[in-house]
Amino acid sequence: MAELTDVQNQTLRDEIEEYLERPEEIERFVALFTGARPRLQEIAAAIIEGDDDAVDGLTAQALEEGIEAIEIMDDGLIGGMGIVGIKFRENFVFVPEVLSCARAMRAGMAHIEPILSASGVEKHGTVIMGTVKGDLHDIGKNLCIMMLRGSGFEVIDLGVDVAEDTFIDAVEDSGAKVLGMSALLTTTMPNMGRTIEAFIDADLRDEVQIMVGGAPVTQEFSDDMGADGYGADALSCVAVAKELIAAAKAA
Amino acid sequence: MTSMTSRERVLAALNGQPVDRTPICNPTSVATVELMDLVDAPFPDANRQAEPMARLAATAHTILGFDTVMPVFSIIQESSALGCKMQWEGKDNWPTVRMSEPIWEHADDIYVPNDLVDHPDTKCVLDAIKLLREDLGPDVAIIGKTMGPWSLAYHCFGVEKFLLLSLDDPDATKDILEKLKKVTIDFGRAQIEAGVDALTLPDHATGDLVSGEYYHRYLKDLHIEFAKAIPIPLILHICGRTVDRMGFISETGMAAFHYDSKNAPGESMQEVEGRIALVGNINNPETLFAKTPDDVKAEVYANLDAGVQMIGPECAIPLQTSIANLRAIPEAVHDWHARH
Repeated sequence: MAELTDVQNQTLRDEIEEYLERPEEIERFVALFTGARPRLQEIAAAIIEGDDDAVDGLTAQALEEGIEAIEIMDDGLIGGMGIVGIKFRENFVFVPEVLSCARAMRAGMAHIEPILSASGVEKHGTVIMGTVKGDLHDIGKNLCIMMLRGSGFEVIDLGVDVAEDTFIDAVEDSGAKVLGMSALLTTTMPNMGRTIEAFIDADLRDEVQIMVGGAPVTQEFSDDMGADGYGADALSCVAVAKELIAAAKAA
Repeated sequence: MTSMTSRERVLAALNGQPVDRTPICNPTSVATVELMDLVDAPFPDANRQAEPMARLAATAHTILGFDTVMPVFSIIQESSALGCKMQWEGKDNWPTVRMSEPIWEHADDIYVPNDLVDHPDTKCVLDAIKLLREDLGPDVAIIGKTMGPWSLAYHCFGVEKFLLLSLDDPDATKDILEKLKKVTIDFGRAQIEAGVDALTLPDHATGDLVSGEYYHRYLKDLHIEFAKAIPIPLILHICGRTVDRMGFISETGMAAFHYDSKNAPGESMQEVEGRIALVGNINNPETLFAKTPDDVKAEVYANLDAGVQMIGPECAIPLQTSIANLRAIPEAVHDWHARH
């Protein structure tokens, strides 16, 4: 089994040692980075540091060196954001730092996305995302969308202040099997429940798996509203989306 | 102890003096669609015209039984006066600022007019305060609201852009806050002249977005300045997890901190160590909106058992919250005091 000392990149070793506590996460990231090429470890480290210029340059370099785009994305970009997600969950960093890292990831994805789109790589599925009616906040939603796209999902972004009918129309038009709703205000959270009820009234509730998230949203609230899944942050949003896509396919 | 008027009770609690019973306060909105219908004061009119604003605000005392009334239901009156692009919405949705279309990009863009308080969307607040005092008399506490510079920066620069700037350029961030504090002070002072007894000062450096260290770095000194510059009890409001910054908040000289249900009453009281009063923290989306009056009462009791000085919802309530659940708050306070 790989050990922390086998991770070549010093920054990554320090990050894993200082910020990761759950044994399964330490094991996962040690395995990931010991198996990752040095250039991709550099990219992951630059993501964690929020250095968008470095990620931009290193990603271009990695492509020039012949490394596959999907490998760069998985091991470098998403690998780095994985550490960021854990630090955010454990309150070592907050939204400004996450935004900085997301900006760095976008710099890398600017090189990667065109290549992946052109290659016709099959997507995991389509997710519709939107912030509920009355709420114009979109930081969390946009972070989720970035991670979902990076993880191989097609995402339809409905934006902010999305009415129930707009969510319904988007599901009907696209055939998407997963819908994600975000809210940042306790005053707008009830609109998640109203949207779910609207799907029931439209006889569409069984056609779509619904996940919710946002700073004030909790698992309890998600359960009470009748959602199928709850994501506490952008990384868990991806995990939940994968579960829900699998559930939708099995149904 | 002699029975106090609502106003005496609230002011005593804010000044750290003995009270005959714990005040029931709304530093933030308790407006609901039900209440709007009862007094014919729907949004958006109640956010933009003094008479429906006062009518709706009065229901906090006349119908719900709170010791306070607070006419500023939204957090955007000043942003409208600054020129932000607004979405006033209808009866069952909150008005909001289109933060995706920010009006400023750099600190040098900031312009705070000297006649900010004469803008229709700020003047209506001042007029509503005067109407409330006329209609309710001297015995009810009127709380106004003046937005802090961090929240104003979100509205004027966009949340994401401002948060990134706070990391990329701390000096520019401080410059922005310094320039925007004029809004907080001018609007606050104007409301004092209009007749408020206290002011809620929302400044959303919430733990869901930024660290406690950020509060200390960017806001604590400004809040100390506000406590000195605005001569009335100030109630700081910050949503979300805030235990990590309650120690700093306690040192600002503000009269009270309006705290969120993400922070346990006992832990919060320990953190502030009696240096600032607490107001709160009944959960909105899960309890007040979705559960029963008994669930509401349980949260009230938990706050009272912990010694929280003023009881109320944690933040502006969802517009579809029932009157029954809101009334459960004063019912529980009275019940608790009858038993203790």
